[in-house]
Amino acid sequence: MLTKHIRHAFIGAAALAVLAGPARAADPGITDTEILIGLFAPMSGPLAAFGFDPLQAAKMWYEEANKKGGIHGRKIKVLIEDDKCNPVEVVSVVKKFITVDKTFIVHGGSCTAPAVAAQEFVTREKVPFVMLNAAGDGAVIPATRYVFGAFGGTQRTVGATIMEFAIKELKGKKIAFIAHDDDFGNSNSTTARAVAQKLGAEVVALERISPRITDVTAPMLKVRAANPDVIISTAYPAPAVLITQKYAEYGMTKTPIIVAVQGIPIPAVFAKNVGNDAALANLYYGSPLNDLTDGPKQQRWIQLYKQYYPDRTPGAFMTYGLPSAMAVTMALEKVGKDLTREKFVDALETLDFDSGVVAGPIAFAKDRRDAHRASVFIKFDGKTHKLMPGTYLWNGKDGM
Amino acid sequence: MLQQVLQATASGVVTGCVYALIALSLVIVYKSTDVINFAGGEVVMIGGYLGILGLLYLGLPYAAIFLFSAALTFLLGALFDRVVLNKVLGRAVPGQSILVAMVIATVGLSYVMKGSVRLFPYTEEVRRLPPLFTGEPIFIGQVVLQLQDFAIVGIAVLVMLALWAFFSLTIMGKALRATSQNPRAAALVGIPVRRMRMTMWGLASAVSAVAGILLAPKLLMTPDMGVIVILAFAAAIIGGFNSLPGCIVGGILLGVIQNFAGLFFTSSAISVAPFLVIMLILTLRPQGLFGGRVVAKKV
Repeated sequence: MLTKHIRHAFIGAAALAVLAGPARAADPGITDTEILIGLFAPMSGPLAAFGFDPLQAAKMWYEEANKKGGIHGRKIKVLIEDDKCNPVEVVSVVKKFITVDKTFIVHGGSCTAPAVAAQEFVTREKVPFVMLNAAGDGAVIPATRYVFGAFGGTQRTVGATIMEFAIKELKGKKIAFIAHDDDFGNSNSTTARAVAQKLGAEVVALERISPRITDVTAPMLKVRAANPDVIISTAYPAPAVLITQKYAEYGMTKTPIIVAVQGIPIPAVFAKNVGNDAALANLYYGSPLNDLTDGPKQQRWIQLYKQYYPDRTPGAFMTYGLPSAMAVTMALEKVGKDLTREKFVDALETLDFDSGVVAGPIAFAKDRRDAHRASVFIKFDGKTHKLMPGTYLWNGKDGM
Repeated sequence: MLQQVLQATASGVVTGCVYALIALSLVIVYKSTDVINFAGGEVVMIGGYLGILGLLYLGLPYAAIFLFSAALTFLLGALFDRVVLNKVLGRAVPGQSILVAMVIATVGLSYVMKGSVRLFPYTEEVRRLPPLFTGEPIFIGQVVLQLQDFAIVGIAVLVMLALWAFFSLTIMGKALRATSQNPRAAALVGIPVRRMRMTMWGLASAVSAVAGILLAPKLLMTPDMGVIVILAFAAAIIGGFNSLPGCIVGGILLGVIQNFAGLFFTSSAISVAPFLVIMLILTLRPQGLFGGRVVAKKV
C-alpha cells in the first residue's frame, strides 16, 4: 500500500516537473549588474577608416549610459575585437564572442560582405546581431529575426533616394546611372531604376563598371552619347574620381552630376583628387546624416567624442557608429529588468526614433531589419558645402 | 561613332603604355631569371608613393622624382635578389627546379610591401600625385586628350627607347642579355652572373617605379593598386613573355581592347576582356604574338 502511495507521489512529481518545463537558465552575458556586449569593427588594415571611429563612438555611447547608472541597474561592459572587414575574420570574431566570451549580443561590422558572412552563425545560435555601420543589404533584406543593421541606409536606400533627388530637385527626365558590377551596384541600380520608372523618368544609360577599373573612357563616352539631364555615380572613391575627371574632360559640366556617399567619404580629399575646379561646378553628393559632417547638428556628437578621446580628431564616419548603439540601449531600456535575447529582439523590432545623427528616423518592424531609409543631398564646389532642401526617403518597396 | 572609336583608341593607347611599362619590367625579370614576378604590381605602388613623398614632402622637382623613385626601387629590387633570391638559389638541390620557391618568394615580397605601406595612416585614403602637366585639354579633331596623357606616352616611349639602347648598345646591356640567354656560358666568359641578375631585378623595379609615377596621377593611389599587375601579365602574354617589343605592343593592344570591349559590348566587359584575351592567346598562340618557340620547362 505504502509502495503504491510512493509510486503515485513520484508519478505526480514527475508530471508536475514535465508540466513546469525545464529550469530556465538566464541567457549568457547578463548578470544582475552587467550586460556583456561583443563590439567589433575594422580597427586596422585598409578599411580601418570606416570602423575605428564609429566603434569608439559606440563605446562612448555605452559609457554615457553607464554614467547615468546603467540600464535597469546593469552596467554595459564591452569586449572589442578587430575584424579588418574580412568575412573570414568576422565569423571567427563572432564565434569567439558567442561561444567563448558568451556575450549577450554582438554589435559590429562596418562592411557589407562580412556582415552577411556572420548572419548564418548568429541565426543558428539565436544571438541578436546589431550591425555597427555596415550597409549590409544582403544581411537585412530579406529580414531574418536576429540581424539588425543598415543604420546608415542600405544601397537600396542610396539608389532610391539619389534617383528621386535627381528627378525632383534637379528636374532630370533622362538619367545616366553608373554603378559597380557587384551586389553593391546591383542593389542601388535596381531601386534607382524602379524609382525612375515610378516618377516617369528614363534611365538612358546604365553603365556597370568594375570597382578596379583603370580607364573609364568607354562608359563615359556612352554616357555622353546618351545626352542625359543628370548623371549619377554610385561608384567607390577611386572610380568616382576617375568618372568626375572624365565628365569634365568630355565637356559635360553643364549637366549635374550626383556622387553617392560611398564615392565621396571625405569631400575635401575627393576635390583634391579630382584636381579640377570645373569638374565640381555642378556636383552634388548624398549623405545619410542630418547635417553637414561638421554642421551644428553633428557638432554635439563631435564635441562629446573630443571629451572622451581628446587626443584623436574624429574621422568623417565617427557619428555613423552612434545610431546602432542608441538602438541597443533603447531596446535594453524597453525590455526592463527581465532581460532575455528574445525579448531584446522583440523590443528592437518596435523601435522608431530620431537619432539626432542621421536624417529621418531609425525604425524596425517585424518584417523590417534595415534601420534607415533617408538621404540628404549637398552641393559641393570644392570649397563650400550647401545643404539642399528636403530629406529623401526610400519606401522599402521600390526595387524589391 | 567614329569619334567614339577614335577617342577609345587614343585613351586605350595612353593606358596601354603604362601596362606596357609594367609588362616590360616583368619580362626583364622573366628573361633573366625565368621567374614570374608577382610583386611587380606592388613595386609600381611603392614607386607611386615614393613619387608623392618626393614631390609633396621633400619638395623635389617633378623630373627628379622619377630618378628618386627609380633609384630607391632599384635598390629594393637588387636587395631582394641579393638577400632573398640568392639564399633560395643557394638551397637548390641538383636535378630539382627552384623556380617555384623563387616565385613564392615574389608573392611574399608583394605582401610585405603592401603590409609595410599600410603601416602609414597616410595611405588609408585614396591619394593622387599631381599630374606632370596641367592645363586645358588638347583637341585633335574631336578626340580630347589631357597634357598628362601626352606626358605618359612620351615618357613611356623614352623609357622603352632607353632600354633598347641600353640592351643593344652598351657593354653592360650586352652582358645582361648574355646572362639571361645562357648564364653558364656567360659565367665562362667572365661575366659576373650574380651581379648581372641583381642588376636585372633592380632595373626591372626602376621601370616599374616610373610606371607608378605615370599611373599615380591617372589612377589614384591605394595600397591595393598593385592588382594592376594582372593587366601587365595579360599584356606580356599577348606580346610574348620573352619579347620586350612584344610586351610593348601587347600593352597598347590591351588598353585599346579594353576600351573597345566597353564601347561595343558593355562596360562590365572591360574587366573581363583581358582574361578572355589571355585564354584566347594561350589557346591559339601560347608564345604570344611576338614570342619565340615554346620551350616546356619542368618546375
